[in-house]
Amino acid sequence: MLRRPSHRQRDELRALASRQAAMADIGRRALASDDLDAILRDAVDAARAELRTDYASVLELTSDGRSLHVRATAGFPDDMLGGVLRADAEELSRIALDRDEPLAIGDFSSEPDFEPSAVQRELGVTSALVAPIGVPGRHYGVLGAYAREPRVYDTEDVNFIRALASTIGLAAERSRHKSRVRDSEARFRELADTTPALMWMTDLDAHVTFVNEGWLRFTGRRLDEELGDTFGLSAHPDDRAELLTRWRHAFRRREELRFEYRLMHAPTGTYRWVLEVGMPRFAEGEFAGYVGTTTDIHERRSMEEALRESEAGFRDLADSAPVMIWTTDTRGLVTFVNEGWMRFTGTTLAEELGSSWALGVHPEDVEKMLDSWHTSLEAREVWEYEYRLMSHTGEYRWIVDRGVPRYEGGSFVGYVGAAVDIHERMLMQQQLREVYEIEHTIAETLQRSLLPERLPQIEGLQLVPRYLPAGHGAAIGGDWYDALERMDGRVALIVGDVVGHGLRAAATMGQLRNAFRAYGMIESSPAEVMARVNRLVTSGEDAMATVLYLVLDRETGEVTFSAAGHPPPLLLASDGARFLDGGRSMPIGAADPAVFREASGVVPPGSTLLLYTDGLVERRGVPLEDSLEGLAEAAGEADDDLDKLCDRVLGAVLRQREPSDDVALLAVRPSSVSAEALRLSLPAEPESLALLRRRLERFLHAAGADELESYEIMLTVCEAAGNAIEHAYGPGDASFDVEAALVAGELVASVRDSGHWRDRRGEHRGRGIKIIMGLMDDVNIESQNGGTLVTMRRRLAHARAA
Amino acid sequence: MTAPAEIAVERHGGTLVAHVTGEVDMTNASHVRDQLLDSVPNDALGLVIDLNECRYLDSAGIEVIFDLARRLRRRRQELRIVVPPGSPLTRVLELTEVGTAAPIHETVDSAVAG
Repeated sequence: MLRRPSHRQRDELRALASRQAAMADIGRRALASDDLDAILRDAVDAARAELRTDYASVLELTSDGRSLHVRATAGFPDDMLGGVLRADAEELSRIALDRDEPLAIGDFSSEPDFEPSAVQRELGVTSALVAPIGVPGRHYGVLGAYAREPRVYDTEDVNFIRALASTIGLAAERSRHKSRVRDSEARFRELADTTPALMWMTDLDAHVTFVNEGWLRFTGRRLDEELGDTFGLSAHPDDRAELLTRWRHAFRRREELRFEYRLMHAPTGTYRWVLEVGMPRFAEGEFAGYVGTTTDIHERRSMEEALRESEAGFRDLADSAPVMIWTTDTRGLVTFVNEGWMRFTGTTLAEELGSSWALGVHPEDVEKMLDSWHTSLEAREVWEYEYRLMSHTGEYRWIVDRGVPRYEGGSFVGYVGAAVDIHERMLMQQQLREVYEIEHTIAETLQRSLLPERLPQIEGLQLVPRYLPAGHGAAIGGDWYDALERMDGRVALIVGDVVGHGLRAAATMGQLRNAFRAYGMIESSPAEVMARVNRLVTSGEDAMATVLYLVLDRETGEVTFSAAGHPPPLLLASDGARFLDGGRSMPIGAADPAVFREASGVVPPGSTLLLYTDGLVERRGVPLEDSLEGLAEAAGEADDDLDKLCDRVLGAVLRQREPSDDVALLAVRPSSVSAEALRLSLPAEPESLALLRRRLERFLHAAGADELESYEIMLTVCEAAGNAIEHAYGPGDASFDVEAALVAGELVASVRDSGHWRDRRGEHRGRGIKIIMGLMDDVNIESQNGGTLVTMRRRLAHARAA
Repeated sequence: MTAPAEIAVERHGGTLVAHVTGEVDMTNASHVRDQLLDSVPNDALGLVIDLNECRYLDSAGIEVIFDLARRLRRRRQELRIVVPPGSPLTRVLELTEVGTAAPIHETVDSAVAG
């Protein structure tokens, strides 16, 4: 049935669309701008305008958590901005933070448990809606909207302020992160300029974008000669091929590169042995290239080689070498250290002999270092360990120490070792690790705030989601899944994939998810939902996504869907697996205007639908048709257990490999409706009634009630529910419970609330009671535990045997 | 979200016929009443509310009928209701004695004819 929306619905749609646009706008600015104050100003303006309140503010929690700093205001007197409020005086804010939930007060005068703060009372604040910003443990602060008039804040209002707060949280997190990365990059550059070590950086095409002074001095080349596709150019011809092979391998897998090779040393015109260590670097959660150091290890290599040839050659080298060299006896006690070692430590030979050398090792490293040394010594294996050793200045410096067993005439005589100062490299690595950890924390925060932690419980539907992040790197994808119950009783199921990776893709994903939730509620046609979201996306920044949007009728199993650049859903029925074809359209964000098609099909009772993103089926070099066939084969027949089915499909398709892209999978199965009992807890607001009717209809139909019985019982229960709603305690907080069961051919329904039914004021309520009494065989109304319980019974003509 | 209801009005001579499609409950009752009231000009003889396509009508909806009947009576206009035979709404309208305020007819034609 196609209906034109009524005036009131049109107004609601307009309000929703306006909020959606405001959210998208602020989300876009939060991504484009670094100016947190400007974003906060926009956010409070939007909160005040969209929620139609008199005031709005953002309060930032100070680091000790005791005070709130007024960061942005709208409507409040100017002198409030920049002020500091005591957290315990701002009761609402504190409770919202403690509960990590938005808090709505429709009218302070009827809420004995809550009081406005002194400032709010002065301004005549009567109602408030506040939401915490950020995630528990990392809360940024509180977003609040305050009005002088009493107000009823509905679900849409709460959703709006929650979404706005989450966007602010993201912008704040991003701004915190940016300044930390800036610091750490500045520190890196400073280090690179002052260190004698060789350093380099590449972009994500593996082109060299930076080498430091040390590198240029070593290779004798100019900066402009080194930039670009130059990796391995100055390596020894015999080493170059292997260096490049290892480099490409590591780069593809975003792994650490560690390789020893000979590098042209311009001042002497010879090749010297160096150790190259490269690590992937990330910017805003996206892989950005590599950063590396090159350490001169020529003496160590030469020494090992010399030792292989003759003992005498080794002694000559050890005396003249600028590295730190040592030997031990068979028990591992030091018998010799060279000049270089003593120059580093500032000690004497006598002090270093025996086992006392370990005294200079950093307390945090010494135990593990000795463990590793003794293990190698026992096995007479090559030993290598990185640790901090106290230098003659009193500063601990990182060194890499390497010892090899020595044999004379075939018998083991002890170890010979050499140590190289790698302090700068280690400092750089630590900084990179720090940056990486920040990136990782942000990625986690984002995913927590944007992906549904769990899907809503939808009666009559089993839903099992799976999310597998891509294997390597910190890059987070923009895949998502969602499910929502529409007012017409159908269920919308969504699986989507934003093109690109990183924080931006994840933020876009969050916006799209909200847009689909909003338009999915309003529009009944999947093609129209797609067109609406497409218009929203194309009016904003560049973003593209593939989406499968499907609406399922749980009663009939009918589905209508649209696939915007997205692979088709897979149906697992008793007669085998097949894809639901049709509804193919362009990806969201590809063009405007765009035509979106929709197709329909039927999910037979007992069968299962699989919705997924293309990370599951995309393989390099494999045609999509083949991958899809592979998926259908792997899914085979549906298991009884959807969890097992998901595990089996993921296992078979990915074959233990980590996916190269994020994978979202959603398994859906309409379950048979219970004819035995219905149990529901709903918010005490009029909007709950439509949903209650749909649930009751389904249950009564399953219980065997005929059309008339079904209508009359549904009406009666809803009349009782209407009473519960009218007498509800306050907005947002209160709920009511409905139970219905078939007991020996008799339908027993009850409605329980926490308020008191008032006297039958007015004919209207009197009629409600008249309906309840007139349509049921038996009605009982009792007060209990500060609430009211209505129990109603009616014998069904053809009750299904329970 | 409010219950979905749609009202289409047509004129049969001096009488207006409002076809109510969808559901009426406490979320949209006052809006439905306003729309119905606005659709009746002062010179009309009366209003017929056709509930053929109305799938749900609760006590708030019934209150709308009583309220409309009162208001129209003041303007010397008559309100009639159309409910087809076998409609699930029938018994509810009887229970609440809607007939005392607005005569109930089985077809639009008979309601227009009065």
